Amino acid sequence: MMHTDDLIARAREGDHHAQGRLMQIWYKRIYNFSYKFFYDHDQAMEVAQKTFIAMHRNISLLQEITRFRSWLYTIAVNCCREELRRRKSSRAVSLHEFRPGEGEESYRWEASADRSQDPERKFRQGELADLLHSCLMELSDEQREVLIMKEYEGLKFREIAEALSLSENTVKSRMYYGLEAMKKIMESRKITKETIGYE
Amino acid sequence: MNNHLKPDEAMLIAYCYGEIDDADRSMVEAYLAEHPEELRRLESWGFVRKAMSRLEDEEVIAPPIIVGQVDKPIWKERYFRMTLGIAASFLVVLIAARLMGLGVGYSSGELRIGFQLQEKPREENRLTQQQVDQMIKNSLAVNNEELQSSWSKERVALENSVRQNMDRSSEKIDRLMKTASLANEDEVKKYVGQMQRDNLKLMKDYLQLSSAGQKEYIESLLVDFSKYLQEQRKQDLELLQTRMASMEQNTDQIKQETEQILTSLISSNGTSNQLKKSN
Repeated sequence: MMHTDDLIARAREGDHHAQGRLMQIWYKRIYNFSYKFFYDHDQAMEVAQKTFIAMHRNISLLQEITRFRSWLYTIAVNCCREELRRRKSSRAVSLHEFRPGEGEESYRWEASADRSQDPERKFRQGELADLLHSCLMELSDEQREVLIMKEYEGLKFREIAEALSLSENTVKSRMYYGLEAMKKIMESRKITKETIGYE
Repeated sequence: MNNHLKPDEAMLIAYCYGEIDDADRSMVEAYLAEHPEELRRLESWGFVRKAMSRLEDEEVIAPPIIVGQVDKPIWKERYFRMTLGIAASFLVVLIAARLMGLGVGYSSGELRIGFQLQEKPREENRLTQQQVDQMIKNSLAVNNEELQSSWSKERVALENSVRQNMDRSSEKIDRLMKTASLANEDEVKKYVGQMQRDNLKLMKDYLQLSSAGQKEYIESLLVDFSKYLQEQRKQDLELLQTRMASMEQNTDQIKQETEQILTSLISSNGTSNQLKKSN
């Protein structure tokens, strides 16, 4: 398997095959980042596609290969913000906001990887996901993007700062207040150890 | 009790995620050892992070993304189109300026924009200050001469006009004086006598008319007065006759009543006598 750095280097030189491989590798991460940001499948797909189109067009401008990850998240964040502005200026409502249940019609069947897993566990997992998503959506956009990048995407504070064009201290401060806000939201919704079912 | 420096938010969060150097870690740990409430806060974050970790990734398959040709022709490049747009705008402005009569000129290191631009006079055609002063003096002298001649003409015309008016007035006065001197004393006396006679006749006629009017008025007044007296006497007589008739009627009525009373007295007296007799 080709090393990621080699892929990036070749993609930067205009190798379409390498660019396609990079998209295959990073698509899930960018989709999940934007899905957690919007909690909307259509918008997450839109942002992911726009991100990789922008990557394809601009990868030749990438200065350092080691900064590919933060560079890619920069594009994703910009696409998310653009989508957010578009959504605020538009009165359209996504059908996914109606949140279909867990029946056959639910779009979650499309996204679920393993239909053979325990149905009860899947049901609980779906409810918990809804609950945690709704908590995330109560955060401010700035706190939410930092929390998702750190907790779910596993970026270093330095990388988040690069992606958002902020200082590291600002990112850490947003993280601090984001966690505090998340704690209060979870307390207000009475989310306990029993709710999340650990230990 | 040691008083360690309080770590800031950034340091606490970096400690929480293990992105901190050894020196700072020691400082944070020492601080947390002395401040259990801060330790509890960090532990509560641990619960939040564990809860968040229960949110799993969505599975998704990357769709095929077909991207078109990246190399755009130069005329589709943004900077090229912008430059072209600016040039086109400038050209439009120049054409509009030309059509409106505006002129743009550049000469001797000067850019000039204006209406009806003319060629700037060259340096050698310029006038000196002495020449300009001389020209102003000459112009003033010519103006003064013209004004002087104009004033002289107007003064002569005015004098002539005044003289003519005075001549006409004196002629009129002379004619009047001549007419007055021709009238003699007899004619004046005749005129005064005639006037006295006329006045006398007028007075006489007035008095005659006045006495006749007064006479007619007195006569009509006397007639009216006599008529009034006759009418008054007639009315008094009628009134007197009416009252006399009334008195006569009253007298007759009293007479009848008296007779009735006497009759009744007589009859009542006779009846009483008969009763006395029968008793």
